[in-house]
Amino acid sequence: MTKYIKYVDVTKCDGCRACMVACKNWNDLPADPQDFQGSVQSHPKVSADTWNVMQYIEHENGKGDLEYLFRHSACFHCTDAACEKVCPENAISYSKYGTVVIDQDKCVGCGYCVQNCPFEVISLKEYVDKNGDKYRKSQKCTMCTDRLEEGLQPACVTTCHTGSLEFGEESAMIKKAEQRVKEMKDRFPNAQVYNPQGVGGTHTIYVLAEKPSVYGLPENPKVPTSAVIWKDYAQPIGKMMIGATTMAVVGAFVTNNIISKRKALKEDRGEDHE
Amino acid sequence: MSNQNKPDVQVRRFSKGFVWAHAINGIAFFVLYITALPMYTEFFDWLYPVLGGPEGARLLHRIFAVIFCTPTLIYLIFDRKGFFRWMKELVTWKKRDLQFFTEFVKELFGFNFKHVRQTFFNAGEKINSIIQILCAILIIFSGFTMWFPQFFPRAIVQWGYVLHNVGFGLGIAVIVGHVYLSVVHKNSRPGYSGVVTGKVPAWWANDHYTEWYEEEVKKGNFPDLNDPKYKKEA
Repeated sequence: MTKYIKYVDVTKCDGCRACMVACKNWNDLPADPQDFQGSVQSHPKVSADTWNVMQYIEHENGKGDLEYLFRHSACFHCTDAACEKVCPENAISYSKYGTVVIDQDKCVGCGYCVQNCPFEVISLKEYVDKNGDKYRKSQKCTMCTDRLEEGLQPACVTTCHTGSLEFGEESAMIKKAEQRVKEMKDRFPNAQVYNPQGVGGTHTIYVLAEKPSVYGLPENPKVPTSAVIWKDYAQPIGKMMIGATTMAVVGAFVTNNIISKRKALKEDRGEDHE
Repeated sequence: MSNQNKPDVQVRRFSKGFVWAHAINGIAFFVLYITALPMYTEFFDWLYPVLGGPEGARLLHRIFAVIFCTPTLIYLIFDRKGFFRWMKELVTWKKRDLQFFTEFVKELFGFNFKHVRQTFFNAGEKINSIIQILCAILIIFSGFTMWFPQFFPRAIVQWGYVLHNVGFGLGIAVIVGHVYLSVVHKNSRPGYSGVVTGKVPAWWANDHYTEWYEEEVKKGNFPDLNDPKYKKEA
């Protein structure tokens, strides 16, 4: 199957926030009122009820100029997703489109994914059931996987009026991104394609005007080493160890019974023991 | 070896403080184990409805996490002497401790064996104690970072998950042996009633913890089993 990814050219963005509105609208997410952030930015970062946030960054570019940078931020849908790795309930999985989705029925609200996401885009939402008991579920951008299934593009992409967001075949999108970086090198010498390989590449790639850190993005994001040790070594070895000690005591129980029976038999025959 | 040969004198092995600390530690350990099991392996997901959903399991896990932290304090407050003897024995290793293990393997599988003279705790119990203390430290500290991630740097929380997993995996593997030896294994069964009541048969203590027993005899606390009045057999 052709691999499709989301392409975000931050330099074409005019910061209209239609992507935020379209996301809330399609995914039926409630308003998430915030205090004044000190800038035109509405929310500090993505949250359980706000799956994409427009960043507004005032950046001094080192030549004494002020750059006003925008970025549409949302889940990256990593090819090698830390959230999927650490989820203890297999509630997070890859869809056939390569998007990373959360099964709300399986999620137990433990928050392991929240703590291990290298981009910090997952949040827990607290709900109250009909008995008044509280429970939590993980929430994040789904890349509108429900729309993809119907042959539609993600809501944010559909609504973008500047062509900053596009959804298309991977190699075409990467080519487009590289071409675009070349075009803007004079204006933005630090411009680059952001498609981090530490997480196996992402299903949302960026054309950034500045270094990733300027946008608050990790320069070399990867699945945390701790998560690899935890899930690929500690847990399987732990399971093996409990299996081994259980087998040892079962073995001990069996041999004890056999030996004491033999001894009893010898005693019955009147043979000496010890 | 039938019981009629054994004098049925009981001696006090454990103080009330130890008995309570041990019981609370054991119960808390198992509740913590059961309430976390469905997250450790999906095979036990059916436990969620039993425990009141993931939220019920989480609440129980946190209540017993706090309880799990108390046994050390109970032991220290109510049996300070016993606590420090335990600590001292854990760092004292002699040749007899190594000899213990070869004999122990024979005993474990039911073969003939001879008792190696041991002090208050035998070498196996010391190993168990050392591992459980290390595991408890790992589990308690990493549990803090998991419960209150907002107060810790992200990397510490992420490593906390690993350490919680390692501490628990190692702890439960050793506990399986520990429980088997006390509850099931025939030669150490008086140890089980001993850890509940604090008292054990004198002959058993003399066999298993000879050095300790003889010390107590010298102090005049325990009856001398070589004394003819305790020798019922000919």
